[in-house]
Order: sequence, then structure tokens, then C-alpha cells
Amino acid sequence: MMELFSYGPLGWGDEILAGLWVTMRLALTTLPVGLLLGFAVAALSLSQIPALRAIGVGYTTLMRGLPEILTLFIVYNGLGLGLNRMMAWIAPDAGPIDFPPFAAGVIALALVFGAFAAEVLRGAFQAVPEGQILAGRAIGMSARKIFWRIKLPLLWRYALPGMGNLWLNLLKDTALVSVIALDDLMRATKVAVGVTKQPFTFYLVACLIYWLMCLLSELVLAQLERRANRGLRRA
Amino acid sequence: MQPQTPQDLVLHAQDIRKSFGTHEVLKGISLQARNHDVISILGASGSGKSTFLRCLNFLEIPSSGSVAVHGETIAFRNGRIGDQRQIERMRQHLGMVFQQFNLWTHRTVLENVMEGPVQVKHKPKAEARDQAEALLARVGLAERMHHYPSQLSGGQQQRVAIARALAMEPDAILFDEPTSALDPELVGEVLKVMQDLAAEGRTMIVVTHEMAFAREVSTEVVFLHQGLVAEQGPPEKLFNNPESEVFARFISKIR
Amino acid sequence: MAFFDTLAANLPKLLDGTVTTLALTGLGAAIAAAASPGLALLRANGPLPAQLALRAYISFVRGTPLLAQLFLVFYGSGQFRAELTALGLWGFFRDPFNCAVLVFAVNSCAYQTEILRGGIQAVAVGEIEAARAVGMSRPTILRRVVFPHAYRIAWPALGNEIILLMKASALASIVTVFDLMGRTRQIFSRSFEFSVYFQAAVLYLIITACFVYLWRFAERRMSRHMAAPGRA
Repeated sequence: MMELFSYGPLGWGDEILAGLWVTMRLALTTLPVGLLLGFAVAALSLSQIPALRAIGVGYTTLMRGLPEILTLFIVYNGLGLGLNRMMAWIAPDAGPIDFPPFAAGVIALALVFGAFAAEVLRGAFQAVPEGQILAGRAIGMSARKIFWRIKLPLLWRYALPGMGNLWLNLLKDTALVSVIALDDLMRATKVAVGVTKQPFTFYLVACLIYWLMCLLSELVLAQLERRANRGLRRA
Repeated sequence: MQPQTPQDLVLHAQDIRKSFGTHEVLKGISLQARNHDVISILGASGSGKSTFLRCLNFLEIPSSGSVAVHGETIAFRNGRIGDQRQIERMRQHLGMVFQQFNLWTHRTVLENVMEGPVQVKHKPKAEARDQAEALLARVGLAERMHHYPSQLSGGQQQRVAIARALAMEPDAILFDEPTSALDPELVGEVLKVMQDLAAEGRTMIVVTHEMAFAREVSTEVVFLHQGLVAEQGPPEKLFNNPESEVFARFISKIR
Repeated sequence: MAFFDTLAANLPKLLDGTVTTLALTGLGAAIAAAASPGLALLRANGPLPAQLALRAYISFVRGTPLLAQLFLVFYGSGQFRAELTALGLWGFFRDPFNCAVLVFAVNSCAYQTEILRGGIQAVAVGEIEAARAVGMSRPTILRRVVFPHAYRIAWPALGNEIILLMKASALASIVTVFDLMGRTRQIFSRSFEFSVYFQAAVLYLIITACFVYLWRFAERRMSRHMAAPGRA
């Protein structure tokens, strides 16, 4: 049993750790991209201009209504097809190439994350108490000052619980990229299963690793929330 | 004075004590309610009067003491109910009206009144409905019976709650500060209904701050102070010649 | 209009997949819904060991990818083939549809339990006391007061959970179930027609939209008592 998960040529410990590293890189790369997208979409859906608002709301509705795996296939195959069509036009002699799965994974996961993050951010913006903004105005702050000095710091407090959930979902959604040939934790496990013929043992271990990652994330998030809520007395 | 028979003693509570943690709220309170008694329980906030009332139908389980309804003693021990069925049976004989009305918000006024008879006493629906309509007419809410509680004023809700208690045909009704949550202009309509009930001889135990009610309607007044009975007796005697200084101060402050 | 030509050609298969998607989601959600009230009660005020066990179960389900749970059951059951055969269960586990329904039910049950627990704990204490005061037994109080309120409170969140489950059911295609996603991938792998993905997307959105509509309709019916037109 221990041998199966040991390091080196006999065990699968190093392969699984390598997969875990890919999973973590994927999640950590997606996070900032998705956050940026989330902010952009939230800004659209809070816009005064109806057309922009429609784009923002439409995007979140669409992305939240589609299975993540479908989004992933659309991105992976769509970008792959597009890239090949472009290559055929630029360099007709070159053979077909694959779209890099890591990039496809990041893009697809960020598209999904961004849609959900936009909703969290929009809700958080609207949760900032009117009085806080009025108080800023009353001392003569400009709209921009109010945004940077009041809204944004408070936003963090209201958005953090929702963002925490989205991060956990993102961690788990990374498992999907194993189906587009990216060597993440799931796929490393699958390879090990193929050789050892011990599917239950290995998938259980994979589950436990994901679980551990989520539990650790929850600890960190609780710590962050405590920091964000300092100065707030619990009723 | 009519001769007293054992059947006349509806409720007999003896030496009720209740502690929350190390804080002793009730330090040994006894009370007897006979048929047609209207007992007002007075006291400053924190005197334990609501807790005492809730101990009578075991919404709060006393720490010690005994409660008997129609001579049947309720079993409990170490803060636990002995026989849940017995408690449920006993509660059917003791109606309760709450400070916050506590109507079931997901049911109409009529359904609120029918609920107990149908679900607990297994009365046929048609019969329960006739009875509920009659009771609602009595409390002046016949035309509101298909409304939901959220569509009624506080005073109307409390009158529905009284009808709900009456629908169980209880031997006594416990009122836990029935007018304290009402806007001042709505107090009168609820007191009027309670007065009518007293006039027709209902047995009532009322925790209240309404001095006029205690003085004019009740047959007996019990004044609680720091978890003990500080004064007890017929209202005319208590209000005219209070024996204890705390009660004298209490009524002078209220006036 | 190439999109509509291929749609017409693909539609029978896609609709067949849609039926499977609805069956996967419906069965999984229904089994979970049957188990969740009891578990939610235990989670809210059961004995401590039961509460701890439920917390561990819910935490595990929430902390692991559904895909990993699906693989654990579908492929993992192969490790116990002899034992399962002896128990007469191997036939069940060999079928990916069964495994998918089982995993979805167990997964959704964890979420539904947690949602319903929140609903139960949000029921107004006074209304429960009023029920006790008329002499209602505990089961009657649960049936007449606690659960009607708890479900009304939990209803929107339960709807969200079922939509999430419906979307997640697309993972069944990875263990070779021919649901809507499975049919879509099958068509794409044969024809490389990219538009089939968009057709599938439209179908998924239609399912979601219909569901949201029905769910809100039910919610409005349940919430009649919340409206307070013309406070008297």
C-alpha cells in the first residue's frame, strides 16, 4: 500500500504530486484572470448605459446556465479549430496543431469564474450601505475618491464569502481539464489506475487530496474574513 | 360561596422553581386556579411572571415543584418531560395566548383556528369549520377569515389567537402579556374580548401590565417580585390596602 | 442557414440525450429530496455522533470534484467486482447510468440537506411554541408547521441546487452515458461540426429557463401568505 504511493519508479507518489502541481498552477493562474473578467462584467452590468448592462447581464446568465464541461469543450475545440484555420491560411504547409490544453483550461475556467464572480461583485457593490457613500460625499470626496477609498475597501468585506465559494468551485472544476488531455491530478490518477488496476484506492486518494485542499482553503478564507471584518462587532 | 369540589380545581401548581444556569428565576411559586377564576399575575419585568406561566403548560420545564391539571400530576424529572403524551393531553386542556400572537403565518385565519381541533383532536373538518367560523364571529373577525395573518393588524391577530385557543375548548386559558406587543390604540379591542370571556365564566390566568384589567376583571391578583409571590389576594383588597411595600411602590409607579 | 440544417439533422439525437439528461437530473434530485428531510432534522438537532457524521459527509461531498466522485464509484467499484458480484450488485455498478444517478443523488443530498437545515433553523420559534401549546405531537408539528415553512424558505436555494445538478449531470457523458452532452460529443467526434456545441448550449439554456419558470411559479403559489396587500 505504502509502496503504491511512494516516490520514484515503483510508486505513483511523484506522478500524483506532479499532477497536483498542475492542478494548483491551473487554479492559481485562472484566479486573477477570472477576477479581472469578473470586475469587467460587473462594471458592465452596473453600467448606466442599457446596452452595456444587457451585455453584462446576458453574459452572466449565459455562462451560468451552461455546464462547465460544455464551456470547456467549446473553448478547447473552438479555439483549436480556429487556430488551425488561421494556420492553414498563414502557413498552408504546416500540419495541424493542437491548442495548448493548459491555456484552453485557463480560458474556459476563467470564463466560468468570471461570470459567477461578476454576480458576487455586483451584489457586493450594491450591499455597500448608502450612508457610507453619503458620508464620503458630505466631506467633499469626488466620485473617484469615493470608489477607491470607500467602495472598494468595503467591497472586499461583502464579496469575500461569495468569492471563497467560487475559489472552492474553481479548485474542483480544474478536475474537468483532465478530459482535454491536461496532466492534472485527476489525469495522473487515471494513468496510475490504468497500470495498477486499483481504481478505488487511487480515486479515493485523489478525492482526499482535493478534500484536503478545500479544507485548507476554508481555513485561509476564514482567516481572511476575520481580517476583512475587523472593526465590525458581531451582534 | 359555592361549595368547592375537587373538580373545581383546574390547575394546581406547587412550589415551582426554575433556574437558567446558575440564575434562579423562580424560587418556589404556588398557584391554584379554580373554575371561573380570573387570576392576574403582575410584576416588574424580570420578576419571572412569564417564565412561571410557561412552566404551567411545560413550554418551560420547571427545575422542581409540581403541576397538576384536574388532579392529574404531570410527570417530569431533572428538566426532562416524563411522558410526552401526557403533556400533549394536558396542553389540550390549557389554551395559551402569546405576547407575539404566534399565529401560523402560512395558514389563513380560518385555518389557524381549525388547525388544533382537526390535527390534535381529530374533529371532522366540517364541524371544526363551523366552530371556527362561530368563534371568529365572536371575536369580530368573521369577514377576515380567509386573510393571512400578515394582512391583519396586531389587535386582529391577537383576537384570532384567542379564537384559536378557544377552539380547543380548554378548561383554562393562559395569557402571556397579550397586549404588550400592541400599539396603544389596539389594546382596547383585545381587552374587550378578554373581558367578555371573563364575564362568561372562563377560567383565565393572565400575565399582564394592564392594571385596570387586573383590578376590575380579575378575581385574584398575584404579584411576583424577584421570583417569589410578594402579595396575593382579591384585587379590591390588594389595590386598596397593599401589605407589602414593593407592591405599594409598584402600583404607585404604574399610576 | 447551416446552423438550422445541421440542427434538424442532429435534433433527434440531441433530444434523445436531453431526455437522458432530464432522467439523470430528475432521478438524482428526487432520491436526494426523499432522503434530505430526515437528514436535515438530524443535522439540525440530532444526537452529536449523527451530527458529526453528517458534517463529515457534507464536507467531503462539497470538498471533492463531482467528476472524482463519479470515477470513484464507476471505476472504483471494479476493484470490488468479486464482492459486488457475490452481493448481486455488480450488474448495477456496471451500468454507467446507474452509477451516475447514485453519485448525483448522494452529491445533491448533501447540498439539499444543508439547505433544508438552514430552512428548518429559520422557522419562527413562536409558531412552533404555539403548536406545542395546543398539544400537537412532534411529528404533527414537523408536518404542519416546521416543514411547510422550511421548504418555503429553502425553495429558491433548492431550485439553484437542482439547476447546478442539471448542469453537472453533463459529467455523466465522461463515463459514457449518452445524455445531452454525450450525444453532443458523439456528433462532434464524427462530424467535427462545431455548431453542435452551440445547439447543445441552446438546449441546456432552454431546460434551465423552463425549470426556473416552473420553480418560480411554484414559489409564488407557496408564498401567497407573504403578500400583505392592504394591511387592515
